[in-house]
Amino acid sequence: MASAALLLAGCGGEPAGPSADFDPNAPVTLDLAFWGNDTRAGFYKNAIAKFNEKYPKITVNSTFLPFPEFWEKRQIEAAGRDLPDVMQFDYAYLRQYSQNRLLLDLKPYLGKYIKTDGFTESTLGIGVVNGVTTALPIGTNAWAMFTNTALVTKTGAGAYPGGTSWDEYATWMGAVAKAGGGSVWGGTDPTGRIQNFEISLRADGKNLFDDAGAPQFTKAELAEFWGRGAQVRGTGATIPTKRLLEVAPKSGFGAGLTTSELTWDNFGAGYAGDLGADASGLALTAPPVTKAGAKDLYLKPSMLHAIAANSEHPEASALLVDFLLNSQEAGAVFGTNRGLPASSTHLAGVKLDPLSQKILDYETSIKDRLGAAPPVPVVGYGSIEEKFRQLGEELGLGTVTVEQAVDQFFSEMDTILKK
Amino acid sequence: MTTVEHVQPGHQTAEMTARAGRPARPRRRRRGLLTTIVWYLLLLALAAVVLYPLVWLFFATLKPSSEFGRNSGLLPWEPTLDNYARVWDGIAGIPLWRYGLNSLIVASLAVVGTLGSSALAGYAFARVAFKGSKILFAAMIGTLLLPFHVIIIPQYIIFNQLDLLDTYVPLLIGKFLGTEAFFVFLMVQFIRNIPRELDEAARIDGAGHPRIFWSIVVPLLRPALVTGGIFSFIWTWNDFLGPLIYLTSPENYTLPIALRLYNDTTSTSDYGATVAASLLSLIPVLLFFLIFQRMLIRGVATQGLKG
Repeated sequence: MASAALLLAGCGGEPAGPSADFDPNAPVTLDLAFWGNDTRAGFYKNAIAKFNEKYPKITVNSTFLPFPEFWEKRQIEAAGRDLPDVMQFDYAYLRQYSQNRLLLDLKPYLGKYIKTDGFTESTLGIGVVNGVTTALPIGTNAWAMFTNTALVTKTGAGAYPGGTSWDEYATWMGAVAKAGGGSVWGGTDPTGRIQNFEISLRADGKNLFDDAGAPQFTKAELAEFWGRGAQVRGTGATIPTKRLLEVAPKSGFGAGLTTSELTWDNFGAGYAGDLGADASGLALTAPPVTKAGAKDLYLKPSMLHAIAANSEHPEASALLVDFLLNSQEAGAVFGTNRGLPASSTHLAGVKLDPLSQKILDYETSIKDRLGAAPPVPVVGYGSIEEKFRQLGEELGLGTVTVEQAVDQFFSEMDTILKK
Repeated sequence: MTTVEHVQPGHQTAEMTARAGRPARPRRRRRGLLTTIVWYLLLLALAAVVLYPLVWLFFATLKPSSEFGRNSGLLPWEPTLDNYARVWDGIAGIPLWRYGLNSLIVASLAVVGTLGSSALAGYAFARVAFKGSKILFAAMIGTLLLPFHVIIIPQYIIFNQLDLLDTYVPLLIGKFLGTEAFFVFLMVQFIRNIPRELDEAARIDGAGHPRIFWSIVVPLLRPALVTGGIFSFIWTWNDFLGPLIYLTSPENYTLPIALRLYNDTTSTSDYGATVAASLLSLIPVLLFFLIFQRMLIRGVATQGLKG
């Protein structure tokens, strides 16, 4: 329904460029929408207060919701062509909204209302869909491995050095599980996450999907990948899936049951919150290597800012986006709450806490493994990712075989891609 | 009239059994007592199973957030009242009672609107002869089959053009205009069972439709109104999608949305505050139900007996 509605909404006219007689001191009201929790809402409130010191006549009404509800509401608004002027945006939805011309072409505003000096060429390219810049990254993150050093020490096993082969990682997980005596495990079956499959493909110079949105992997490759998980599934090296389901919505790592987890590098604050500990016991290391010297990792936007094509005040919206992306004041307010800032001028204002410093150090340490970012995710990528996760879970529970899982995944993916 | 004297041979009344079987009495009573004890134990066990989630929820409100996922047992390892303190502080600077008040306003007005409009519409369908009433009734029943998701986009566009977003009007106007087909249907069925002779007698006395509706139908309709009121209140109180779509400012949010704000999987989730707020939000619905439950049962029972 939502995609049909978006299609309906996409029939608008060509966007006009910025108006020549824009006056930043004329009274204007903007809507700003973001997802997040209470803490982030407080940060936005402070940042808007700072923005109003500069532009007192621009009133910003902000609204926030948790991530799934945020998108549910946006889909309805998009159908009514009534999106908020400025939105925090997610990479997974960028292609869908851009192709339906729901987002403002930012090019005419770049340099004039939104400064670009703080961005590198590659980070500026993140929000480009079919040659049009429809969003700018707020922060970047990379695929990483978190380890709970305090918990590893408690079990008596040695720490994971990072960047080993997958087999060595599996051996290490087994050693931790053995030392943990049935209450602590080395990690979660890594084949349950599509990102681990993605970095394996990237080691061979491929991505999940090409520019045209076609998959770049075969059934055999996926079967081989999921088959690889059998060496840790059910051997006691990784946490049993049943146990994981018991502690949901927390992850095994967040619940203090596993000592490592492969995820995005900005998830540390969430883990620290879940563990109820200070983040000093958390360490960030490089994920296992599939092929030595491969450029398998990449920088992804943790989130972006976009302006709605239906905005009546694109210039004022652009000024707000510039402030939220580039200003040191906003940097000082947000810290790394929205990921490690993509803009260097924004980053300059950030007072890095120890965890953020670890992220910065980590992203510097993997420079040699960082390759070009894959094309902007295909429409429906979120559903594909979720299907992969569900099948990983079912493999863990033993309710499907690898062959069945591969067939189910391809049939679901074909349906989503054909829409 | 059947009396004890007319009892057929072989059929003993309770009194006769008691009189005749005096020596057997203690055995019967013991067996009765034993059965009662077994029944009570069984029922208590069932009640424990049914109520366990609620008891678990209560104790969970005393667990620190970090204990979730690690301690799935009933009792907290390190009991704390911090969760309630954080709930008291509210979200985004707005105290929780404000969200509760918003919900109460919306749910109460929804009850008033739903009952008023559906009683009037029900009366019209059941008692007033007008052209096309059958087609209109069928169309109204047809709207019951329409999923909310089908009408939500056109409705959103209309309210957007009327500049009524971020107000409670989109959530309530339909209820005042009798668009809740389920409740209209409930009233129609109920009014159809009220004898027409009552209306006709009133008509002879010179009463028109307004007078018949107000003085005759409404008093008799009370069980249906109470049933409708309770359902309308609970459904509106728990409604999530409507407020999510139409309300934008956090200070206008209703309680179900506020409860979700404690959990954002992309940043940190406050599980402790979520369960504490959930428990608190159950209280008004529970109170509403306790106060009106007798009327609810009476209403449903009366409906069953009629017809």
